[in-house]
Amino acid sequence: MARGDRTRRVIRPLAALLIVVSAGCGKSEPVVKIGFAAPLTGDQASEGQDMLRGAQLAIERANAQGAVIPGYRLELVPVDDQRSPTQAVAAAKRLAADRHVVAVVGHLNSSCTMPASAIYHEARMLQITPVSSNPQISRQGFDTFYRTCATDDLQGPAAALFMVNQLNARRIFVLDDMTTYGRGLANELIKTLEKLPVELLGHEGISQEDKDFVPLLTKIKALNPDLLFFAGMFPQGALLLRQRMDVGLGGMFMGGDGVFHPSLIKLATPNAANGVFLTKLGADIHQMPTAKEFVALYESRFGSIGAYSAYAYEAASLAVWAIRAAGKPDRQAVLAAMKTLQDYPGLFGAQNFDEKGDSLIRDIGIVTVRFGRFVELGTYSEKAGRFVFMPAPSSN
Amino acid sequence: MVYGVVQLINFAHGEVFMVGAYLALTVMLAVSAVASAVPWWLLLILCGAGAMLGCGLLGAAIERIAYRPIRHAPRLNALITAIGLSFFLQNAVMLLYGAVDQHMPSVIPSVRFDVGGVTITLMQIIVWISSAALMVGLQLLVMSTKLGMAMRATAQDLKACALLGIPVNRVIAITFVIGSAFAAMGGMLFGLHYGTINFHDGYMMGIKAFTAAVFGGIGNIPGAMVGGLVLGLLEALGAGYLSSQWKNVFAFLILVVLLLFKPTGLLGERIADRA
Repeated sequence: MARGDRTRRVIRPLAALLIVVSAGCGKSEPVVKIGFAAPLTGDQASEGQDMLRGAQLAIERANAQGAVIPGYRLELVPVDDQRSPTQAVAAAKRLAADRHVVAVVGHLNSSCTMPASAIYHEARMLQITPVSSNPQISRQGFDTFYRTCATDDLQGPAAALFMVNQLNARRIFVLDDMTTYGRGLANELIKTLEKLPVELLGHEGISQEDKDFVPLLTKIKALNPDLLFFAGMFPQGALLLRQRMDVGLGGMFMGGDGVFHPSLIKLATPNAANGVFLTKLGADIHQMPTAKEFVALYESRFGSIGAYSAYAYEAASLAVWAIRAAGKPDRQAVLAAMKTLQDYPGLFGAQNFDEKGDSLIRDIGIVTVRFGRFVELGTYSEKAGRFVFMPAPSSN
Repeated sequence: MVYGVVQLINFAHGEVFMVGAYLALTVMLAVSAVASAVPWWLLLILCGAGAMLGCGLLGAAIERIAYRPIRHAPRLNALITAIGLSFFLQNAVMLLYGAVDQHMPSVIPSVRFDVGGVTITLMQIIVWISSAALMVGLQLLVMSTKLGMAMRATAQDLKACALLGIPVNRVIAITFVIGSAFAAMGGMLFGLHYGTINFHDGYMMGIKAFTAAVFGGIGNIPGAMVGGLVLGLLEALGAGYLSSQWKNVFAFLILVVLLLFKPTGLLGERIADRA
């Protein structure tokens, strides 16, 4: 039959190809793998790919410095979580099932990192999340969990202190994107605002699938706030900025680290983005003498550096360090090695972790947009138990 | 419309819409690169034409390659094919244009009119006029041309039409072409209005469009229009007066209630003769 012929025509070359490919892989040299999980497709694919590039650079550097474990090849295994908690769990299970994977860098979203962390914990795998900043994740008490960024119980207060003390905002409206990250950050912000002399006009959520916020912004306009804060990601942030201008909503606009992205200004248009204030996790990467080499390498390879690239690089480098220190491709050994880490020379200075696995580098940066460019305003740091603002050396 | 003719829920329709937005952007960038002094209305027409042409071809290709071979297979196969196509188009656009949201330059001058305290922009007027014109044109085409008659006949009974000498394959292909060209127009207007487009945008739009069609009575063009209007108003009022978090809940709740009492939608269609 014609149909049978066609099937055979397709299958034969395919089978031949398969044989060739499998022959190529036949003599496999022992391999040790680091998993990488982030949204690589879907509407957050750009952030995920920024992170993946950072992690890849770390692996390349490690391989250039000689075998991580003598006789073994180091490999990065990227998996896609599509920023969906369900997919994140599936991805985590896939990584856990591969016995060559001894550590994982990921995920991006707190809503993904949270359920996935339980799977890595059960599999006794080291997990280092570059940027999931919800404080609840490390409070689960998993000894497998590490995180290289500051958390939202610092970002929230920093944003609150900045808007009240530096910007003199008194009437504040808070929006979030109803994710674990956005809602968590908004709640931490509000917790601090309640202790300050301000009036909280309202707190509402928007959906990440949505594009039209005009009705909501019209409602907010009637409340006449001094400042609108958005805890979410940059695509929605850009739309809010444009539509805020369309409905003529005045006052200031401030956003969390999810809104801090190189393409924000272009998407929102420089005009609508002008004067926006943003918090971000960590100090300015370009000001870090310890990160100079990484920034130069990244920018020569991939162009401008993504907001999360450095954290993914840091997390992957830490995983490499732990595997090197363990000296064997064994999950328990890698985990034990990670616990001995002290003053790791990272991108943001000497890296240490507290007993929950959170980084002790706990700076929150503040940036603004001026004439179509991000300008660093300063950094909140913990000094002697207090959270203080230090203006940037030259904020021009 | 496609559902009416071949009883297939084209889940890839939202993706065609998104491809239309990207095509319009490409034409816009290409034209601006060649000649900088093109008046905005001409640029708009060029973009619209380019997007509609491209998506019309895409629609024809989708029908020919993906749907025609399985037209007589069980309906579930077509549904799964549609979902697969939707993934394919999304990821193809992501690989071609990159994952980051693309900025769509606002070519339409930002003119505002104040009518009794309500601000209306030129953009909104263009959206209204072009949608109304397309809808009227479509209604005329389906109701008072020979081709439209063939479409309606094919929708009622495909086999009988074939027996009577109506070129059903061509009619179905043309239906896909028209539907896709309309989606492209929608995609372009969407991109121009919001200023950013993303390869993921088609997904929610496809669902909303499907909802609007069900709302109004499936396979009924004025019904889809009314359904879309009502859905949009419900969402906007829900977000404005209740809470934006409940926006979708509110809109879909009304849909469920409506379908409980009037299963054929607002302007109900004669589903009966198909059952």
